Amino acid sequence: MVIYDSSGPAAPEAPAPGFLSRTTFNTGHKVIGLRYLWLALGSVLLGMLLSLLMRIHLVWPGVQIPFLSGFGGAPERYAALTMLHGSLMVFLVLTTAPQAGLGNYFLPLQIGAREMAFPAMNLFSFWATVASLAGMTTAFFVRPDAGITLWTASVALFCLAALLTALNFTVTTLDLRAKGMALPRMPLTVWAWFINAILSTLIFSILLAACVFLLSDRLLSSQFFSPLAFLSQQPASLAQSTLLSLWQRLFWFFAQAEVYVAMLPCFGIVSHLLSTFSRKPVWAERASVLALCGVGLFGFFVWGQHMFSSGLNPWSPLVFSLLASSLGLPACVLLLSWFGTLWHAKIQLNTAMLFALGFVSLFIAGGVSGLFLARNDLAAANVSGDFVTGHFHLVMGVAATFAILAALFFWFPKMFARRLNEPLGKLHFWLTFAGVYCVFMPMHWLGLMAHSRVTGAVLAVTPLGASFDSSFSASLRTFITVATMLTVAAQVLFLFNFIWTLWRGQKSEDRNPWSATTLEWSVVSPPPIDNFGARDPVVYRGAYEFSAQGSPVDFAAQNVASASSHPPLPTRLSASAGAKEN
Amino acid sequence: MPGTTIVEDIELIIEDIGGGGGKNPPPGGDDGDEGGKRYRPQLPSSRRYATAILIAIISIVMFFMAMASAYIYLRANSNRWVPLHLPWIIWVNTALLLLSSGVMELARRRLALADVAQFRKLWSVATTLGILFLIGQLAAWRQFILAGFYVSTNQASSFFYIFTGLHGLHLLGGICALLYVSFRKFEKAKVSRSVAAEVASYYWHFMDGLWIFLLALLYLGK
Repeated sequence: MVIYDSSGPAAPEAPAPGFLSRTTFNTGHKVIGLRYLWLALGSVLLGMLLSLLMRIHLVWPGVQIPFLSGFGGAPERYAALTMLHGSLMVFLVLTTAPQAGLGNYFLPLQIGAREMAFPAMNLFSFWATVASLAGMTTAFFVRPDAGITLWTASVALFCLAALLTALNFTVTTLDLRAKGMALPRMPLTVWAWFINAILSTLIFSILLAACVFLLSDRLLSSQFFSPLAFLSQQPASLAQSTLLSLWQRLFWFFAQAEVYVAMLPCFGIVSHLLSTFSRKPVWAERASVLALCGVGLFGFFVWGQHMFSSGLNPWSPLVFSLLASSLGLPACVLLLSWFGTLWHAKIQLNTAMLFALGFVSLFIAGGVSGLFLARNDLAAANVSGDFVTGHFHLVMGVAATFAILAALFFWFPKMFARRLNEPLGKLHFWLTFAGVYCVFMPMHWLGLMAHSRVTGAVLAVTPLGASFDSSFSASLRTFITVATMLTVAAQVLFLFNFIWTLWRGQKSEDRNPWSATTLEWSVVSPPPIDNFGARDPVVYRGAYEFSAQGSPVDFAAQNVASASSHPPLPTRLSASAGAKEN
Repeated sequence: MPGTTIVEDIELIIEDIGGGGGKNPPPGGDDGDEGGKRYRPQLPSSRRYATAILIAIISIVMFFMAMASAYIYLRANSNRWVPLHLPWIIWVNTALLLLSSGVMELARRRLALADVAQFRKLWSVATTLGILFLIGQLAAWRQFILAGFYVSTNQASSFFYIFTGLHGLHLLGGICALLYVSFRKFEKAKVSRSVAAEVASYYWHFMDGLWIFLLALLYLGK
């Protein structure tokens, strides 16, 4: 029986680190991963409060909120609210939490490495991310002109951090895998982090370049986006559109692929969890890996398509068309794999699994509305911002958040040796699940109604119809705002569950409470500093060997040589027995 | 053959990807033959540095490609593009940089023959040539300013300054790497001298090629 334990007699006597190297300059991948998660948690709370503020101002413009009314009152402050909400959520939550947070913590553990390839670089990335968060938030409070410069610089810094993280992930996955961890044996989570890292390497460079252009225009007064170069010979509107389109080109090179960057790790996590809690291997695992590669590849090819098609306005619906149609194929393969895994399975409906299933539901709902957006004519006919907002929040923001929550419930026992409270978690899940549908589905209707008003104006609707329309949409907006307030309030349940469990929650000393197969479950919880103690792990099988029907254990862990002769006993009893063996 | 080890390693990685990681480790091996060595920390494998520099190069290529595409786009869409007269010293600089790459390869040949003294000499020549290139680039900026072209003069001059400036910044990182190879005491380091020299040389040659590409853009785009 292979048990990795740090209590071996020859464990190295490391000198006790000083205060600073334990705290600020700790290069341990688990410490850094956890800090990224805390950072994302803080950002998501802030971002959620901002969205609440926006909804309130949208529906009751005259309302005075103590302390905040000064910031959110003026119309341009409303735009700043949107900008801060978007940058926090996209950069510091959706990009950071699933990749840098969970990935930093679990990628080395799952491939049997003791550390990331470049720990010091990892530390630098983390503090650069913190600085960029500080910069983005400060930009909100200073005057708009300086604010934009500060915001751009912060985004550039974030790009640099993301690039270095991606480099670290790629090298770690390629070069630091344990003996026997061949690429086909890697868990799908690792595949997703790996492909995502490669994609990030490619696209964050582009955003960095765009930010450098913008910064040099603002600070060195260079002429990249300046209309001065187009004076006199062309109508001003044409010059404007050329320069605007240069920025949009550079930005959308990045931003189209950013959607995939947020979603890829979530695909991996959901596949992993669905398999574990269905007690079945991932259905068509190879096809899933190919689909993940396909998502990354299409993310890149959409960019290439964009680059070589000249004269095309980047906002053109054709882009959405390409985006949707190229995502379609791998997304369908993934969906098929998920349903294939669930088919005839003995599903364990715990909170982690509920959130994973919630992800699938949201992904389908968002995907269906994406089909509407993919149609050139419909998008061109001014299906207004509300539809788009509803669509991408559902498919990108909320779905990804569900995957992150699923991962937190799944890995919490490993990270903290305690289990999050299940009934509270389930209550939180159902409230949030209902809440997000109540918030974002009506947004689709609002968008479609705006569309019908545009065409309706041509048909000269009756005054009665128009007034009914506007009063209905006003009440719909109020409904969305109330639903947002309730959904945000429901998150207090999670926050309470999280904080309370950290100190008082049910202890889980079991190494492997979920009977999972991957390497992180073969070590004690929380894992020791060098992850695997006295011995390097050795991998003997693929990541999803479940459902040995009839036998007492229905799974074979990756580090177990032969399922029959070495039954994996993940209990505390065997752990202590294994320690004695050592 | 220290000069070729990493490339072979990378071929091994690629074989590993293609062949699915090959064989299983022998079952039960973890209980038997490895029992003697108790704690075996993962040795820092040297190939991680080569992998890292290759990925960094891909990333830097994307960075400059985004800039180049903006250059091509603005060049094609602007009909008030002011032609750019490159200062003559640019060509001297280019020759210096190419020479530096060549000398570096000579140095690595000496290292492969375990001739460390000769290696050090040639390596510092390569480093000096790199520093001279940077000084030359500053002189080119000076010539350009004296000719009345500032960052804000027109789009072409903005691109000239941003291309040379960012390339110079990346090259400065390369010079730091070259100095590291020169002055590091490799008896105590995690990497061997030949690996460090090899990784640094990949980056240096890449900087060389990148400069030729940027120069071609600036030259053809006028």
